[in-house]
Amino acid sequence: MDILISDKWLRNWLTTKATPKQLESCLSLCGPSVEKIEKVNGDLVYHIEITTNRVDSASVYGIAREAAAILPRFKIPAKLRPMADKPKQKFVKKVSYLNAKVDPSLCSRFTAVLIKNVKIADSPKWLQENLKAVGERPINNIVDISNFVMHEVGQPVHTFDYDKIKNKKMILRNSKKGESITTLDGKQHKLPGGDIVIEDGSDKLIDLCGIMGGNASAVDGSTKNVLLFVQTYNPSKIRTTSMKLAQRTGAAVLFEKGLSTQLVSTGITRAIELFGQIPGSVVKNNILDIYPNPKKIKYVTLTSDFIEKLLGIKIKNKDITKYLNSLDFKASWKGKDLTVVIPPHRSLDVTIAEDVVEEIARIYGYHNLPSELMAGSLPEKNPLNTFTFEREIKTILKELKAVETYTLSLVAKKFEEENALKLRNPLGKDGEYLRTSLMPSLLAAANTNTGHHGPLQIFEMANVYIPRKNDLPKEKLILAGVFENYNFRTAKGIIEKLLNLLNIAYKTKIEGVKNYKPSQRLVFENGAIAFGEFGNLENGFAYYQFDVEKLHKFANNIKTFIQPSQYPPQIEDITLVLPGKTKVGELIKSMKQSSGLVSKIELTDIYKDSYTFNIWYQNPQKTLNDKEVKTIREKLLGVAKSKHGAIQKD
Amino acid sequence: MKETLINLKNQAIAQIGDTSTQEELETIRQEMFGRSGKITKITRELKNVNKEERKEIGILLNDIKNTLQNVISTKSNNLKNSTRTWFDVTIPGKKPKIGHLHLVTQAIDEISKTFENVGFVRARYPEVEWDWFAFESLNMPSDHAARDEWETFFVDTPKHPKFGSMVLTPHTSSGQVREMMRVGSPPIRMINIAKCYRRQIDVSHYPMFHQFEGLVIDKGISIVNLKGTLDYFAKNFFGENRKTRLRPYNFQFTEPSFEVDISCDICSGNGCKLCKEGWLELGGAGMVHPDVLKAGKIDPKVYTGFAFGWGVERTFMMKAGLNIPDIRLMYSSDLRILTQY
Repeated sequence: MDILISDKWLRNWLTTKATPKQLESCLSLCGPSVEKIEKVNGDLVYHIEITTNRVDSASVYGIAREAAAILPRFKIPAKLRPMADKPKQKFVKKVSYLNAKVDPSLCSRFTAVLIKNVKIADSPKWLQENLKAVGERPINNIVDISNFVMHEVGQPVHTFDYDKIKNKKMILRNSKKGESITTLDGKQHKLPGGDIVIEDGSDKLIDLCGIMGGNASAVDGSTKNVLLFVQTYNPSKIRTTSMKLAQRTGAAVLFEKGLSTQLVSTGITRAIELFGQIPGSVVKNNILDIYPNPKKIKYVTLTSDFIEKLLGIKIKNKDITKYLNSLDFKASWKGKDLTVVIPPHRSLDVTIAEDVVEEIARIYGYHNLPSELMAGSLPEKNPLNTFTFEREIKTILKELKAVETYTLSLVAKKFEEENALKLRNPLGKDGEYLRTSLMPSLLAAANTNTGHHGPLQIFEMANVYIPRKNDLPKEKLILAGVFENYNFRTAKGIIEKLLNLLNIAYKTKIEGVKNYKPSQRLVFENGAIAFGEFGNLENGFAYYQFDVEKLHKFANNIKTFIQPSQYPPQIEDITLVLPGKTKVGELIKSMKQSSGLVSKIELTDIYKDSYTFNIWYQNPQKTLNDKEVKTIREKLLGVAKSKHGAIQKD
Repeated sequence: MKETLINLKNQAIAQIGDTSTQEELETIRQEMFGRSGKITKITRELKNVNKEERKEIGILLNDIKNTLQNVISTKSNNLKNSTRTWFDVTIPGKKPKIGHLHLVTQAIDEISKTFENVGFVRARYPEVEWDWFAFESLNMPSDHAARDEWETFFVDTPKHPKFGSMVLTPHTSSGQVREMMRVGSPPIRMINIAKCYRRQIDVSHYPMFHQFEGLVIDKGISIVNLKGTLDYFAKNFFGENRKTRLRPYNFQFTEPSFEVDISCDICSGNGCKLCKEGWLELGGAGMVHPDVLKAGKIDPKVYTGFAFGWGVERTFMMKAGLNIPDIRLMYSSDLRILTQY
């Protein structure tokens, strides 16, 4: 959470000559991070990030306490002014002016005190200035005190118009689903149920606890008697309600992080002090304090060896004591053993030895620690991983002019199979399902580029999520790609080249499925195992996808050397006229099989029904003469004619 | 003799000057230096000259030979230049079309190489994960903000009796306990780079992104070692003159926890518009919490460790100085974006 702290306000509690710049850099290195300093009407305001575990420092006093511990480490003297945490009044379990019934699982400490004859007026100028500096609009003396105490102490405080509480009765309980309350800002909320609320003697809800007071019991211009109200609420309850109702008030943000019950006492003390300054007001002598399970003092024990092991260096015991005591801890040594008493405001945060080491280390200063790579033996590689192979595929595709994309794995229902995994809380209908195929995403990617001229080739390598019963889905790594404005042969050549370079042996078969044009999809197989597909889609794109794990299994990374023949081939071009619907792939296969001396056939040109082939005749043992070539050629043409009806063009 | 030679030289130079083609020039060369050329002849006759003169004439002849050859070759070059066909070298080149790998792929390459060089082992763990690995084993209380439905995606399936809900992993930290279980006993030096998901979309967040997670566990691993590793990474990934610093922070699965800053290279650490007083935020790190070690069946009394987990996209953008104004553009399939890298 980010908070604003006024420099003037801070110096009410912190006596130091540190400049704002020094405060900024020292605090950032050893404590809460100061993001920036802003000038506001003759004051300076620190923007400070408070981590969730350090809500105790989310206030003027909290920051002053941190600064008082940190600044001396930079040789800048600093002193914290103590803040009173006990009022003159008495904390009692029952009071005559309020009959409260409190569920302790919702509210671990409940305090309230009646203040009579409060005259509504503007707050004193100094108080208004402080509030304005941190962006709070002064309203009147009562409301301003609540805001002031929250900023200064870090404890939210609420005030009710006492005379609006029916029968002087309060029941603090869980809300029922559908109950409604109108809050101070005029908004009406239908409650989700399980929210902490207060009901008065007329069964009406008068407070949405920890978030915002109810309108029905709000302080207004005619208020005379004020019920001052300071509590510790169940943090996760507050967070749930505040998120569900989208009411992220300052109070909610503090309560949901878990406040110390000790702070209730400090908060009410400070508020009573300020109310006491309003002329004529009378604070009742008894403060109602429902606190059935007071927090016990906590200790953590550890040793100097442990501190040294975790830090990597040795710090003197007396320095450790000094650092801890400056943060209100109480450190005591017995030889190497250290016992640390945890102050109440840190009891939720500091619970184990490591937490104490963190306090020592940050005050010592992480920047003062040396920096060294670890020695020791190295771990072994995980043999199951295929990162290098995946990268090789990507490199090949890049060389083949493909462009890589990363698309979102969350897709709309219309793109998915019936059983695809569904999210319980998607960000929208477009990303409700975990994809089981990359195809829809890649088609969308191709469609993004409709304005693109010329051939286009996009690919992605990503997991798809195949559901499994009572288990996590199978995360299957898929390589998929789409071609646009590519002729079929060029696209297919890219796939063939990829498989050649990966040294994968394969056969193909034609097999139609949904989304592909009939009989225009090839399935790639190694043995009897299909590992991928390529073909023309209904929408005109060519598309491919492969199972990367299988590619890896079938890829042979041992490349055998082939001795180039010392006898040159005879090469010639032959043009054949093919009857309609001839499968050229089959024709080439037949021609090649016509003789063992046909070493290579390439289709080089197509003009209407004329197909030109570049044919190599080669005998590894000798140079073929024209007569021998003639015999092979005749055999080849014979097969072409008899099996496929292909005739040589004159 | 001397005079004949000098005349011959002057005459030849004049003739060479008058030529306008290579052919004419060649004719003159032949007339002088050919088998029956004038200079050749005189050279041959030199032996008939009397002894006193021979030396002097010899020197002169040599001199004339050199001069004429120079003049001829200079002229030849001039003729070549003037007769060369007109050619425009300013015409733009035809750039071959090439493929492109995605920024994330390039980033992962560099990050993994940097860590593999100091003995880290690359890993990858489930993107769809059980709550137990993503949160519970990482010491995150059940009411922690990250575990509620506003920050993490939940899969709509029945809960696992032991591991709880099925979630899209919001961080690579869910690989920590999995790696501990795989390895069994330290040493561990893992660099886990994987896809993560969070329920957020705006200029600086996309619901899908990548993180890299370092995890080192062994005997005697300290904050000093974490600092050493981060400084090594900063120098080798970002540049020799870069430094890191740790600031206090808070994570459930590390104790102590840090925010890691790297010195700004724009202002060399003096402070500028892009950084905070000379420092840029890199990400979180910390010493592995004893509860997390216990969840991975490693004895925290014997072993200690550190971990850090940062965004791949963010870290790479910081290195490359890419000011991509909206992180969502990184996940666009627009070729005008993809082909920039």
